[in-house]
Amino acid sequence: MRTRRLVAALAVVPLLLTAAACSGTETSVGKQLTGSAPFDARPVRDGGTLTVGLSQDPDALDPTTANTFVAREVFANMCEKLYDVDENLKIVPQLAAALPKLSDHGRTATIAVRQGLKFNDGTTMDAQAVRTTLVRDLTLPTSSRKSELGAVTSVEVVDDHTVRLHLSRPFAPLAAQLADRAGMIMSPAALRKYGKNFGAHPQCVGPFSFVSRTSGSQIVLKRSPYYYDKAKVKLDRLVYKIVTDANVRSANLQSGDIQVAERLATSDVGTLSADKSLKILPGGGISYQGITINTANVHGTDKKPGKVDTPLAQHPELREAFALSLDRDVINRVVFNGLYDPDCSPLPKNSPYRDPKATCPKRDLAKARRLVKKAGVETPVPVTLSLTADPVSERLGQVIQAMAKEAGFAVKVVPGEFVTTLNQARAGKFDTIQVGWSGRVDPDGDINDLVTSGGSNNYSGLHDPVIDNGVHAAATTDTAQRRALYSKVIAREHELNGIIYLYHERYFLGTAANVAGIRYYSDGIPRFATAGFAK
Amino acid sequence: MGWYLLRRLGAAVIVVLIASVVVFLGVRALPGDPAVVLAGENPTPQVIASIRAEYGLDKPLPVQYLDYLKHLVTGDLGTSTQDKLPVSQILANRIPVTLELAVLAMLVAIVVGVLFGTIAAARRGKFADYTATGFGLLGLSVPHFWLGLLAILLFAVKLRWLPASGYVPFTEDPGQNLERMILPALVLGTGFAAVLMRQTRSAMLGALSADYVRTARSKGLSAPRVVGVHALRNSLTTVVTVLGLQLGALISGAVVTEQIFVIPGFGKLTVDAVLTRNYPVIEAVVLVTVVGYIVVNLLVDVAYAALNPRIRLGGI
Repeated sequence: MRTRRLVAALAVVPLLLTAAACSGTETSVGKQLTGSAPFDARPVRDGGTLTVGLSQDPDALDPTTANTFVAREVFANMCEKLYDVDENLKIVPQLAAALPKLSDHGRTATIAVRQGLKFNDGTTMDAQAVRTTLVRDLTLPTSSRKSELGAVTSVEVVDDHTVRLHLSRPFAPLAAQLADRAGMIMSPAALRKYGKNFGAHPQCVGPFSFVSRTSGSQIVLKRSPYYYDKAKVKLDRLVYKIVTDANVRSANLQSGDIQVAERLATSDVGTLSADKSLKILPGGGISYQGITINTANVHGTDKKPGKVDTPLAQHPELREAFALSLDRDVINRVVFNGLYDPDCSPLPKNSPYRDPKATCPKRDLAKARRLVKKAGVETPVPVTLSLTADPVSERLGQVIQAMAKEAGFAVKVVPGEFVTTLNQARAGKFDTIQVGWSGRVDPDGDINDLVTSGGSNNYSGLHDPVIDNGVHAAATTDTAQRRALYSKVIAREHELNGIIYLYHERYFLGTAANVAGIRYYSDGIPRFATAGFAK
Repeated sequence: MGWYLLRRLGAAVIVVLIASVVVFLGVRALPGDPAVVLAGENPTPQVIASIRAEYGLDKPLPVQYLDYLKHLVTGDLGTSTQDKLPVSQILANRIPVTLELAVLAMLVAIVVGVLFGTIAAARRGKFADYTATGFGLLGLSVPHFWLGLLAILLFAVKLRWLPASGYVPFTEDPGQNLERMILPALVLGTGFAAVLMRQTRSAMLGALSADYVRTARSKGLSAPRVVGVHALRNSLTTVVTVLGLQLGALISGAVVTEQIFVIPGFGKLTVDAVLTRNYPVIEAVVLVTVVGYIVVNLLVDVAYAALNPRIRLGGI
């Protein structure tokens, strides 16, 4: 046992030395790439095929049932939505003509639909098509959009280009939800033809239309002749190639086999940014990663909370001590080359709903030790940290282990396969777990359901009236009011420490130097409508 | 021989049936509910229940198994839960890819392994023997993953001689197909070449000290003829057995190789299916693998009998 500890300690020494070496300064690569993504406006030539390396195989390409992030990347270029976000994460109309008009104290939302639009199968996109899509999202038994559109009770067609949504309660995140998969309008003709198998033949409005899919290998799209803004689209074809290993994705980019690689490993970003034949675009920042502590999840997230028999669950001061033992900046530098955004909030750093005055508590080892002593438990305090078995997560676990040890915690890192680990989290079979959230544009999507009583993703089992009341922030449309309400929720979260937020991930899109016109925003989804090969 | 084959085929059907039960139960014993995986980030109990009902996962296990068996005998392998494509269609696309990779890797292994093994045995204790044995040891020790990455970095990134990854069907463009399969076949074949080399060397050493070889030599036959015809032919029975036994290693090797070189084959499908708890696909790939094993073992036994007449006479 002693030998094992020694080996673990020795393994972490180089990591901490690295951290110490770059302590206080941003790494050079980090400094260059932490800004927002530049839009390369060089003119592009007409034609060509752009091959994009995706990190995963998307699930069904059906907006009603799809759940993977990579599916959103493919949808972004063939299934436009009623609304979209711009580079500042502001909601802007896409297939809708304007933002929703609210009336009846926020219980009805009227949406004007753009005129003269056609789906990629040549049929007309109108208010009836919007209704067909939204009704499908609300009624298909396997729909993953139901909870997102939970406040919508019915959809009424006012005229050919206007729909009215009736809501059970005022619901501020509505436009944000319609700026994601719930707002992707599907061709009613294709839905009639393919039904549940729509995902194998998706037809929407978009710059590119679906051609074919070879499961696990590639998805091919071609320039749509029916797109309303087709003059801006230059590429003939867009090919998504599934390359799951980040090193292999980088190698493919370097060899020229693919021209765009999404989500590069932070360990590769330095080397690739030095390569003159490549460009790196930074995006993302709305997702977060943290450590969830099981405080009351005994039988699963869908069951009543109860008493968890671990020191961290029983002693709030130990959770605070654990949080104070961690240095987010060091974690960022050691594990991610300083390329991520250390943070203690679930909201992205550019969110207008963040309290600008709120700061993160710094590492305070003395206070952490005092709190451990105050708890009166035997030291070192045993903590089991479950995480996904991959080199980066395991490295993160080692750093956490080394830091927490100094405050009196003995962290046992347990790597596991992703689905199994998540299963344990839902079932309450864990002490602490390193897990994250892909993030949403509206704060409701980052808070509600993740920390509120009975939320399906509330792995910690938090059940606190202050946090639960914060959900009401979704009922008001006033930004300042919502900001104040969410600030209270996050402050309370810091007191309870059910989740210790660590950082927001950034995504790095590698492209060949001669590729221009890609729009890559904070949501981490590359848009290729205006992309092409530079003239 | 005919009766022997019939007996073997009957046994094979029973093995497949047992395997189908084991696979079915094994897949369901995997932690992680596929309905929860499919329900995504914000699963509601109703959506999870609907997904379970859609795939019949809400029924008792024996009923699920009988449904599975009923579909299986009619040739219906189900629908992939992940991308909603028919499993039979996915397999039909994937199996030829892996078979091509396996055949090419085997070719590499046979050519390199048998050649080096024979040379090493014929030149026992000489420089050529040490070199071949050294390469064999290296081939066995180097992990596929590392070798694959190294090959990509050298041949695709640095030298730019070959593409880094991807697959083009042979029927679509034979040139591009071979260009893209060279590196994966070499990487996958290296490990087998090493195994074959060691087996060939050992079998050849035994054969070269046998009486019939001494007789052949005393009759004044040339050294290449003694080694290449008399000793090698008798050593090949061992080599063929090893080739059959290596099928499992070939499939596990293909899993890794296909991941690295982004080849849409059977191995990659298996990994993806397990990671996404895609029950119909996992069941189909395991069953096809079992059938593949049985067929290959049968072929090995037949080849073994054909190569060694004493086995036929023994009625084994």
